[in-house]
Amino acid sequence: MEIEELQAAWSQMSNELEQQKKLTNDIILDMTKQKYQNKFVLVTKYETLGALVCFIISFLVVLNFNKLDTWYLQICGVLTLSFLIILPLMVLKTLKRIKNIDISKGSYKENLSLFLKTKNRLLKLQQIGIGFGFIGLLFIVPVTSKIMSNKDVFLISFKKEQYIVFTITLVIFAFFCKWAYSGYQKITQSAQELIKDLE
Amino acid sequence: MLKETVFTNLIREHQALLYKVTSVYTDNKQDQEDLFQEVVYQLWKYFDSFRQDSKITTWMYRVAMNTAITHLKKKKRRPDVLPIAEVFIKQNDSIDDVYEERLRLLYKHLHHLNTLDKGLIFLLLEGKSYNEIALITGLQVSNVGTRISRIKKKLKTNMTKS
Repeated sequence: MEIEELQAAWSQMSNELEQQKKLTNDIILDMTKQKYQNKFVLVTKYETLGALVCFIISFLVVLNFNKLDTWYLQICGVLTLSFLIILPLMVLKTLKRIKNIDISKGSYKENLSLFLKTKNRLLKLQQIGIGFGFIGLLFIVPVTSKIMSNKDVFLISFKKEQYIVFTITLVIFAFFCKWAYSGYQKITQSAQELIKDLE
Repeated sequence: MLKETVFTNLIREHQALLYKVTSVYTDNKQDQEDLFQEVVYQLWKYFDSFRQDSKITTWMYRVAMNTAITHLKKKKRRPDVLPIAEVFIKQNDSIDDVYEERLRLLYKHLHHLNTLDKGLIFLLLEGKSYNEIALITGLQVSNVGTRISRIKKKLKTNMTKS
């Protein structure tokens, strides 16, 4: 099949569409009120909810910071707070940037480039979140354990079964992180190629 | 005339344009409907900012295509399933099988292109000159020509394969 044949099919479709004027004034005016939920609004809602949970937990950590009575637990506490505050804030900021792209200004090329760059940043942040989530176990667990049950996990001697359960959890989590990370990697890679092509 | 009346007349007059833009950037009916509404909403939102220094359709293409860029897909579908083509095709029983098959193939190949190439080939199919394509996309005219011939080659290779 030749491209000219496809062009002919497109023209035929265009002619038929021209004859099908299905929209009424009421339907059009309804659309201008944005009754449906924009998907970015939905993503932002979930991310905001997630960020709120993180902020509440970090608030509780701050309130109980005095319970972290050794230097290593305090370091774990600071790392936990940074993880719970900085990352969600950066994600929300990036989402806001995407939402604020003024599609009436700028050309297709400019907007596409800006959108891809911002989307890539968002994906990278989520990628970092996954990576940190894994490492985060090492400093979040001691903090929560100390605050909630006043136990210093670095000083407790675990039973053999507990070690096994912990190791299995780590292995499963590592596989999950690797899977999610490579998924993001593929998406950002193709976006990166398109950005390069645009520049 | 009331702003609402002018706007609804504009959308009614150019609804085919919007149907086509939204069908190129989506691969299922639900996503297309969502994008269509989003485009109409954005056109209304920026209606006052339209200046008479360009054609109204050029402005509409630009807003519609820019909106499509930021439109999120609900979920990934199999790329070869193209119910969107049926939305148009099935509306008229008299349409022949060859035309239907060509349209199906056209959408199949369009959906395999990246966002930039998709936009360029869409405008070419719409009969736009390289100058108009350059005006809408922000690319240089010479760049438009180079890119389009590259996409045509790519499309031809893909069509030969399938």
